Amino acid sequence: MHRSSTNQINTSRLASILTDIHFWVPVAVLMGGLLLLRFIR
Amino acid sequence: MPPAAYTQIGSVIQDASRSKKLQLLGILSGFAAGAWLGAAEAPTKLVSIGISPMVISLIMVIGVFLARWSLPALILGTSSVRADVRRAPHLVIWALLAGCLWAVANTLTIFAIRDIGLSIAFPLWNSNSLLGILWGFLFFNELRQAGWRRWTGVLGGALVMCAGAALLAVASSTAAPAAHSLRGVWAALGAGILWGTMYIPYRKAYLTGMSPLSFVTFFTFGELGMMATLAVSYLGLAPLWRELTSARDVLFWLMLGGFVWVIGDVFQQYAAKYVGISRGIPLSNSNQLWGLLWGILVFGELHGRGVSTYTQVIGGSVLMMLGVGAIAFSSAIGKEQMRWKDAAQRESQRYGVSADYVEARMDGRQAAGELKPSRSALDWFLVAVATGIFAVFAAMARAPRLSFHWGPAAVLSAATLVLLLVCGLKLWRTTRFH
Repeated sequence: MHRSSTNQINTSRLASILTDIHFWVPVAVLMGGLLLLRFIR
Repeated sequence: MPPAAYTQIGSVIQDASRSKKLQLLGILSGFAAGAWLGAAEAPTKLVSIGISPMVISLIMVIGVFLARWSLPALILGTSSVRADVRRAPHLVIWALLAGCLWAVANTLTIFAIRDIGLSIAFPLWNSNSLLGILWGFLFFNELRQAGWRRWTGVLGGALVMCAGAALLAVASSTAAPAAHSLRGVWAALGAGILWGTMYIPYRKAYLTGMSPLSFVTFFTFGELGMMATLAVSYLGLAPLWRELTSARDVLFWLMLGGFVWVIGDVFQQYAAKYVGISRGIPLSNSNQLWGLLWGILVFGELHGRGVSTYTQVIGGSVLMMLGVGAIAFSSAIGKEQMRWKDAAQRESQRYGVSADYVEARMDGRQAAGELKPSRSALDWFLVAVATGIFAVFAAMARAPRLSFHWGPAAVLSAATLVLLLVCGLKLWRTTRFH
């Protein structure tokens, strides 16, 4: 019972993260930065 | 008037006074951040032998890693870090992300300086403050309902600071721009964008109530992990190890630079927490002014240069101080503060973090029922290990022979230490470092 509610909380937290624009903007900028680094090397 | 109305008025006045106190604390933290981030350049100036910039960056990050674990352990104890993470575990992801952003930005600046020189590169990546203002406005309700005077103060101040930074960078540059100028411009702009975006995780963490001292302990894993990956992939493991061993005489100075940088960064985090990123970033960017003071007064840089150089230095410094002043006098009050609280409430609901905790921490207080931070044997162990590592490298270090002026060094060190004491004490008394 306790384990299932913990799993539920973790899943909902993960869903909140993955649907948060505050997560995707830094991720996109980081990817862009890594690509830029590869390009200018 | 009924007694209940008196109580309500009293509470409103108390809230306003607390909020003003926190704003002043954030501004003071921004000034202290500028001084300490600028002073961090001093130990690195002692390193003049030909070490790869990637290795210099990696060693500084190792010093940073040690400081980011030992300082929070010393100040609040790791139990406080653990308690913060239990309340808002999702923020660990943002801390790691911010660390990765910092490491990639720092590496891009190395390429930017190589390709277009510091004079062009610095103002380009200093534009991070403008991006910070944009993110703060878009995502965290900063400068909403702030009025045109505050908008002018913050945006105008940041622009004036960028102009001042450009003049200082032109004055302090010694090398002419090399080839690959377009590549260098992209690298500098990229660094500015990465650094400007790095403040999204900062602000998110502090609106949710996490202590800056907890955030930096996870931030540093992203920072060290990404920096080590970049260094190994660029240089290869064996050449990297060879460079590290051949540079053992100067490793201490670079690690010391990293340590001093962390103190500045911790103040920067408190500035971002209490005045927001739109004001905190430009205030911390005054580090360029302090770095130049160390360079000119202590290391004799620009010695023998013409009148035009000194005019640029004075003009750039005055512009930077005017910009800092404009931002410092545009602190958030009234309606804007309410919009910050709306943003904090949104975070609390989205991630299921207790509203009382978020509100208390935004107000720089401990939440009800929260245990008082205490240090354990593990904390003293972490402090002892970090101190031991620094002592070993200090024993291996050699003082390089270069022109060093002790008088100005003592004055600048004293000013920086005074800021540490004043701001540290104020943070302790007002927020207990929350």
